[in-house]
Amino acid sequence: MAVKKLNKDKEKEALQELTKFRLIAPAKSDEVVIFKQITDPGEAFLEYGNSTVPPKKVVFPQTETLFRFQRGNPELREKNVEEEGTTVIFGLRPCDARAMSIVDRLFSWDYEDPYYLKRRELTTLVGLACVEPPSINCFCTSLGGSPFGTEGLDMLLADMGDHYLVRALTEKGEKLQETLSAHLEDAPAEEEKKAEEMAARAEGKIARSINTEGIPEKLPTLWEHELWKKVSAACLGCGICTYLCPTCHCFDIQDEVEEMGEGRRARMWDSCMFSEYTLHASGHNPRPTRRERTRNRISHKYSYYPKRFEVIACVGCGRCINLCPVNIDILEILEQVVDAS
Amino acid sequence: MVDVERLREIAREVISRDDVRQLIGYRQGTYGFRARPAFITSPEEVDQLIFSPACVNNLATYLTLEEKLPVPRGQEPDLRKVAVMVKGCDSRALVQQMEEKAYERERIVVLGIPCTGVVDMDKVEKRFPDVLSRGEITLEGDKFVLSFDGQREEVPKEELLADKCKRCRYPTPLVYDQLLDEAVERFADDDYSDVLELEKRSAEEKWAYWEEKFSRCIRCYSCRNVCPMCYCEDCVLDRLNPQWMRRSVDISENTAYHIARAYHLAGRCIQCGECQRVCPVEIPLMELNRKFYKDVEELYDYEPGTDAEAPPLLATFKVDDREDFIL
Repeated sequence: MAVKKLNKDKEKEALQELTKFRLIAPAKSDEVVIFKQITDPGEAFLEYGNSTVPPKKVVFPQTETLFRFQRGNPELREKNVEEEGTTVIFGLRPCDARAMSIVDRLFSWDYEDPYYLKRRELTTLVGLACVEPPSINCFCTSLGGSPFGTEGLDMLLADMGDHYLVRALTEKGEKLQETLSAHLEDAPAEEEKKAEEMAARAEGKIARSINTEGIPEKLPTLWEHELWKKVSAACLGCGICTYLCPTCHCFDIQDEVEEMGEGRRARMWDSCMFSEYTLHASGHNPRPTRRERTRNRISHKYSYYPKRFEVIACVGCGRCINLCPVNIDILEILEQVVDAS
Repeated sequence: MVDVERLREIAREVISRDDVRQLIGYRQGTYGFRARPAFITSPEEVDQLIFSPACVNNLATYLTLEEKLPVPRGQEPDLRKVAVMVKGCDSRALVQQMEEKAYERERIVVLGIPCTGVVDMDKVEKRFPDVLSRGEITLEGDKFVLSFDGQREEVPKEELLADKCKRCRYPTPLVYDQLLDEAVERFADDDYSDVLELEKRSAEEKWAYWEEKFSRCIRCYSCRNVCPMCYCEDCVLDRLNPQWMRRSVDISENTAYHIARAYHLAGRCIQCGECQRVCPVEIPLMELNRKFYKDVEELYDYEPGTDAEAPPLLATFKVDDREDFIL
């Protein structure tokens, strides 16, 4: 399909068009940028670096009702994801889209997760290329991503100043392009070349990196290494690094009983950094301190996941570094892993 | 400002003592202007230690955060002391912890840092967003001097100073074994002007305000975990059976969480501001804590964390306590 352009003075109209679907876009709440459902195009905030909370919550909500139950009534009222309808996530960064394609492998592995997969099927991802790396700690290029990366996306927009260059990447993207056709114009041929130059420039600006070669194989050999104690010493055991990670996908399932004999079974994000994570009913915890929990976080992303799915479960978005209250830095940990003997 | 050579010299003496097993201080962060907690166990590691206005963390948290595995049969527990570096505000956490009998005074060695104020790292990084190589911040007169990549920038102190420092009544630690520098005179006072502004709002306005903030909460519990006063070994939030507070995230549960937290800190919060500093979604938690703080000061003439000999507020009763607010 031909490359198109969307003039910025048509941006609001285009977003208005998309509100006939469930439209999710970055929006500002005070100074914090969060993806949320918008009904008014004016709410969308596209001049952003990256969102604080990744858009993974759209396909993997932080709290999700699986079904409801009632005393004396054997019928379970199951939730139907389809009722949420067709969804468009507009303006997410390429790293966050790539993260979804990584997590897809887990949710469609030994058991096909109906909730997640249905949402993924119903969702079209419209990416916004990074003309500038959104943060000083971006390292997507070390993990096979890039500021103009397309993996996982259905459509990619690149900000060219007074307009966006629009490229459909999948069938879903082409359908969306048709929906938007009244607001799009043909892009001049030289635009693509210009975008390629911008992509190379953005890539060149990424300041941090790690050579991941050999890390997945090496990690299991460092099980009792002293580095884990050192890198976890300052850890507070909060959930920032995992909750804000676009590839972290652990969840817990709990029953919540309400008044009047009603209740629900819900699943909710869990974090391997919490002390009750994997706490056994016996009181035993195989990961009793933050040393084991930090080791698990790094090993899961950089060893267990690639062993099973042939891809590292990290996209280099830098959120876990930017927002850690005590400056625990995954790149420093990985460097220590590389150097360890 | 504390002289780094002197700081390291004292730290070397302390960690060389037979009765000290660990010293908690600060070291350079991994990028930009960041500093981070350092855990020193031998004299060789002492040269990592720094102190600068970038040393924002309240290290008192680590005295109660340490996870200890059961001591294997036949081995003795390590009862040696822990040394900790504290600024004025951080020292109040020690005082409050000791008031509450969290541990014995003899268990710790306190290295006091008279403090002239720390930076708000968000303000620093907003102003200098692309500094990756390790930079330094020092205070010279009424200016912060930032050195990075061979550059030197001066910024008026007021512009980068953390808000809590603008109302600091206790810049010099209230408890210490050794003071690392000359005591600093009080350079600010708390007039509660921010709380007074909030108090003027109607109940509806307050509710709308907090509903917006709390709806952003992702319940990562960083505000709880970083708080030096949140040190219950068995936290109500982690209880699964019975479950007192749900793990599910919605405005109702989020609000319940933050109200419960604020109440648990009434008469105990020592205003280090760590909860608000670490919040990834920028919930202004100190506004809640400061309202309680002001009430406690006005109603009971009590400032938490200022007198290690005094009993905790909730363990006191005075016959002349005001009662006019009781319905």
